[in-house]
Amino acid sequence: MDQNKIPNRVTYALAGLSALLFFWWLLNDPTRDFIPSLPGLDNRGKGAGANDTVNIGELFDSYTNDYTQLTETWPRFRGEDFDNISKSPIALLDKFPAAGPEILWSAELGEGHSGAAIYKGLVYMLDYDEKEQADFLRCFSLVSGKEQWRRGYKVHVKRNHGMSRTVPAVTDSFIVTIGPRCHVMCVERATGNFRWGIDVEKEYQSEVPLWYTGQCALIDGQTAVIATGGTALMIGVDLASGQKIWETPNPKGWKMSHSSVIPFVFGGRKMYVYSASGGMAGIAAEGPETGKVLWETTAWNKSVVAPSPVCMPDGKIFITAGYGAGSMMFQLKSDGDGFSVSPLLEYKPSEGLACEQQTPIYWNGHLFGILPKDGGSLRNQLICVNPSDTRKVVWSSGSEKRFGLGPYFMADHKIIMLNEEGTLYLLKPSLSGYVELDAVKVIPDGQDAWAPLALADGYLVLRYSKKMICINMRK
Amino acid sequence: MENDKLKSRREFIRGSARLSLAIALGSIGGWSVSSMTSEKWVWQIDPFTCTQCGRCATDCVKTPSAVKCVHAYQLCGYCDLCGGYFKPGSNALTTAGENQLCPTAAISRIFIEEPFFEYRIDEDLCIGCAKCVKGCSSFGNGSLHLQIMHNICDNCNQCAIAKNCPSNAIKRVKASEAYKVKGSFTKEG
Repeated sequence: MDQNKIPNRVTYALAGLSALLFFWWLLNDPTRDFIPSLPGLDNRGKGAGANDTVNIGELFDSYTNDYTQLTETWPRFRGEDFDNISKSPIALLDKFPAAGPEILWSAELGEGHSGAAIYKGLVYMLDYDEKEQADFLRCFSLVSGKEQWRRGYKVHVKRNHGMSRTVPAVTDSFIVTIGPRCHVMCVERATGNFRWGIDVEKEYQSEVPLWYTGQCALIDGQTAVIATGGTALMIGVDLASGQKIWETPNPKGWKMSHSSVIPFVFGGRKMYVYSASGGMAGIAAEGPETGKVLWETTAWNKSVVAPSPVCMPDGKIFITAGYGAGSMMFQLKSDGDGFSVSPLLEYKPSEGLACEQQTPIYWNGHLFGILPKDGGSLRNQLICVNPSDTRKVVWSSGSEKRFGLGPYFMADHKIIMLNEEGTLYLLKPSLSGYVELDAVKVIPDGQDAWAPLALADGYLVLRYSKKMICINMRK
Repeated sequence: MENDKLKSRREFIRGSARLSLAIALGSIGGWSVSSMTSEKWVWQIDPFTCTQCGRCATDCVKTPSAVKCVHAYQLCGYCDLCGGYFKPGSNALTTAGENQLCPTAAISRIFIEEPFFEYRIDEDLCIGCAKCVKGCSSFGNGSLHLQIMHNICDNCNQCAIAKNCPSNAIKRVKASEAYKVKGSFTKEG
């Protein structure tokens, strides 16, 4: 009798133990030691920003008014026609002299990537003076490099992969600049007299882009055009008075990117094309509807965009960005009453033309650009593509010719390119292959030579991290 | 006569013993000196040759891999948008899990001051997948890079990762210079 009970008891005990273990297993949370990755674990501060008052235009130093007046201009980012192609008839070097090109002068700059604008013998550069803790618009003689004057304002800017980043916009009468922390300043070109300023971050509750302002100011006729982000997407400001002429609403809350506003005429309408952080839009640029959104798309929505849109005559708009974003090609169509925009292509940086910082050049029906570091086997190479399919590479510069983030433009039927370490290349633009005419190191220990190039009257102005140099490129 | 024979035998045995002892001591001393002076060799990754293929995470005989990410702080830009921390196109620059590139959350970021952040690697969590290294190399200064940790590595005769490394980035190096940390180590050739 007792012997029969023992197996039963053992069975019941095992069953009970199993049930207990099962419930323990059910109740035991295997993720109890996990720490959820939630926003805020970095203990991010509220940020410095718009609390300090900046008196735009408060500082002025005059040095000399001795300079040689010349005739040509490179008045803004990407030149007169926004295509980065100089129309100057002056013949330039096909090959550098054995001793290297003639370096006319150099000037010390604050750390950064801002580029020069040139107007009839004067060079304008927005620089950050770390010692003075101030943005300064500096004016130099193009021929001698003598500094003429500087106009600026105190503002605290920390080193963040350089400080200055933009190119001034210059007309015969005015100069407009945008500083690292979105301070817009307008001065008289000839004298440097201050006219007006806007603290965009404060006035429009904008966010200063990640690596400070990269947007270069645009002057269109008598209007300064600034893409503000924040409470307005874009504004037009009267150059002479500083009065706001129009403001484009920004209901979607798009933010200011590092990209610049590009004027474009299509379907009989002039418009400003802007790639914001949030989307891309075309804003009416003339007539009673100036400032109105003609078309917009959120299909292009990247967190960091530095290159500007490349607008082509048939309504194609190519836009690209770094940090893994890749590129998109849009087709803009005009139906008489309005515009529609639709994506034609979207791809990763390793699948076709893509650029991280510089804007590609549209020449002879083709696009030329340097691929980013994540551009696959063609990374950092100069490539040529047809806009009908920018994924098909017409030619590339080859594995021995990689250029990084340096700038390039065209002049005198040449591509003039500076790699980020300071070697200057002369290339023959071609649709059939990479043709290098010559190359020379112009900056001995160059680094971060990213700023756009400027050329007028045969004088090439370029810069690297801390110095600007002027090279005589005349034949 | 008999005593002389015994004496010479004893002397012979003593002499032999002394000689054996001297040889033994000499051998031990020589071996010790030799092992103290001869250089040991270990496996290490050349960060400038590494292509971040991901095989360090999968091909090492150790689980998790003896390869870990290390951070050269002097090269780091302390960026808000860190290509080694955030997935490309992440929704927001926050520490939310969906924004992070590291599959094991081995990288933490700490706010220093606007707009700078410090990035730290938790070696216990790191599996050596190199995703962060790829991001940092593509979009940053390349301050994140992989190294074989010799407190974990078995120093196999034939390193399983070196055998399968597509760029031959893993080589034998002297144990006295066991790490090739960027900043102190610069590109060869």
